[in-house]
Amino acid sequence: MTILARLERWKEQSKISPEQHALLAGLSRGEPFSLFLELNILLYAGVLAFVAGLGWTVSTWSQQLGDVLILTILSILLASCFWYCFSRAPAWSPAETPVPAPIFDYVVYLGSLVWSLELGYLEKRFHVLSGQLDFYLLATAALFFFFAYRFDNRFVLSLGLSALAGWFGIAISRWSPHQDAAYRQYALLYCLLVGIGGTLLQRRGLKPHFFATYLNIVANVLFWTLLSGVFNREGYGVWLLALLIACGASLAWGLVRRQFAFVAYAAVYGYVGVSWRVLFEVKDDTAIFGYFVITGVAMLVSLVLIGRRFARSA
Amino acid sequence: MRIYSASTEETLRARKLLADWASEGFLTKEQYQLLRQETVSELRTTNIYLRVVLFFFTLIIVGAATALFFVVFLSHPSERTIGVVLLFFGAVCYAAAEAAVSQARLYRYGIEEALAVCSVAFLCAGIQFALFSGGLFSAKPDAAQSLVPATGAVFSLWIWRRFGLSYAFLASMIFVVFLPGYWTSSHSAQHVIVALLFAAGLASASAVRSRHRFDYLDESYSLVEALLWLGMYLAMNLQLSSLHLLEQQWWGIARTASEFPRPFYWTTWVLIWCLPPIILAHGIRQRDRFVIAAGAVAGILTLACNKPYLGWQRHTWDPMLLGILLTSVAVFIRRWLARAAGGIRHGFTAQRLSGKDKQWMNVGSTALGLLSPDSITPSPQASNSDFRFGGGRSGGGGASSNF
Repeated sequence: MTILARLERWKEQSKISPEQHALLAGLSRGEPFSLFLELNILLYAGVLAFVAGLGWTVSTWSQQLGDVLILTILSILLASCFWYCFSRAPAWSPAETPVPAPIFDYVVYLGSLVWSLELGYLEKRFHVLSGQLDFYLLATAALFFFFAYRFDNRFVLSLGLSALAGWFGIAISRWSPHQDAAYRQYALLYCLLVGIGGTLLQRRGLKPHFFATYLNIVANVLFWTLLSGVFNREGYGVWLLALLIACGASLAWGLVRRQFAFVAYAAVYGYVGVSWRVLFEVKDDTAIFGYFVITGVAMLVSLVLIGRRFARSA
Repeated sequence: MRIYSASTEETLRARKLLADWASEGFLTKEQYQLLRQETVSELRTTNIYLRVVLFFFTLIIVGAATALFFVVFLSHPSERTIGVVLLFFGAVCYAAAEAAVSQARLYRYGIEEALAVCSVAFLCAGIQFALFSGGLFSAKPDAAQSLVPATGAVFSLWIWRRFGLSYAFLASMIFVVFLPGYWTSSHSAQHVIVALLFAAGLASASAVRSRHRFDYLDESYSLVEALLWLGMYLAMNLQLSSLHLLEQQWWGIARTASEFPRPFYWTTWVLIWCLPPIILAHGIRQRDRFVIAAGAVAGILTLACNKPYLGWQRHTWDPMLLGILLTSVAVFIRRWLARAAGGIRHGFTAQRLSGKDKQWMNVGSTALGLLSPDSITPSPQASNSDFRFGGGRSGGGGASSNF
């Protein structure tokens, strides 16, 4: 029975009203057809392409164009974005707020990216901060957090978390598992700070819908950090223990809160870390493949049982 | 032919739609609970995260079990023996995938999907080893060796039909791309053959799809049509569909008209301008989300490839112009739709009607926010090599610029 036939039957049984039937049958047939997602993707791609081109142009033609012209253009762009955002933004609310205009989020994002570009240019050309990149990153992160909370913008929140990671010396999208011990400590500190910060903000009811973003980024940075410690040739015991504790916590969180991503993190990161340590000294092919068969089956059975438990309680 | 009955798949679709409508407030909570009881399915499903993880672990088990078999039972097997064993494992995987569905009633559960994928991989590798002595690439085109991609294409198509896995159809298309290389050494002929095969597939899919408007198969056929349109476009776009694509990207070598017969080259240039509006118009007429997306992607690719096609130099501000164009189009369409009564014009609206859209936006904004434009910004052009402006690292939200 197709969905249209079901809707017809539910209407006849008075389980849905005729108005609901008309609306839902229309939606099933694509009437009206929503272009919401497509238009948002187009806006995002447009902003990204624009800023990429802007960066490319500035980097290639800076000497011909001159500092004054470049900084004037970037400043006008920046001022326009911020004028638009502050003039159109609704009164601040700690809860999730609807955007005042469909392009609003993208103007905030554009402004934030142009800010990065201009500040970077200033620093390079005039050494405003005398090469102290740390302060610049921290200030940028603070500004992005302010924008994210003022304008309720997840794009800029991610940028802020990314800039803060930069201040800690971590490049999120270029993380190498072979970082040295210092990087790991900074990464752990980052996780601690962002995790506690995110939790406090959520507890205080300040944009609680941002909490998922904090948690996912913290979880991934934390697991990468712990894994990089497990991959060490020496002194890996503490990291392995920490990985197992983190996996247990992630699994418990995922099961209790029904956030399956954390179950997946625990399974994959935990399996990679433990397998690495178990197989590190093993040279026998039979033992290696046998290990993968046995542990793979064990993981599969465990995950299927977890999946069934979720299905039953759903 | 399909392993799942139509009624169970329709029930699952109805269940998903009910959840979506309830999240958007089109149904009351009581209505949702009541109607949900009528959409109970015997199939076992799971969420996307567990599905991916189960897929991953099934791949590990199958791969390790196969390797273990070779290590334990075959010390120095001949290539023919390896091929026969792989074919045997392919058959076992396929039988296991069938059993996982028919006995355990798994539906998009990761396990049966990984088994089906492994069966295709083992079948192709098995044929290669058993019949062609392992070597995948030979100096001269050997039509007989096309048996491997042909089998891969047909079997992937079967997996798509049987299990409804859309990525199996994509795999089938990828196998098809390799077919003409075994038949002819002419690059032009290869492009034409691939495009014709995709066009034939598109005609078949369109004919079959007309019987499935508004039922559970409609979305699957929609995706197939979109993939075939995009495949045809890519086969015709000589700046993109070359195997030397990476080389071009890295070394800035654009394909020139001299590599192909001039009439063919310029015909493809005309085609890459004609295809996007055709695809878009078709998608809009059919109200087909995937086909509209394919048309939009093809259009953007045409704009990006036009200069290399014509042999013109790219300018650093080209991405800015593209960005302005994309943003303007999005804003114009949104305003144009919003000005109509009820925000609906010709059956289209810019309003959000599905909770899934919001979910996608939330996930996308978190993940894409981490992506800074420097990752897609090319290096400064060679003319100004004395001054470098490397763009920010993503660790600084694009802010940790390295000039």
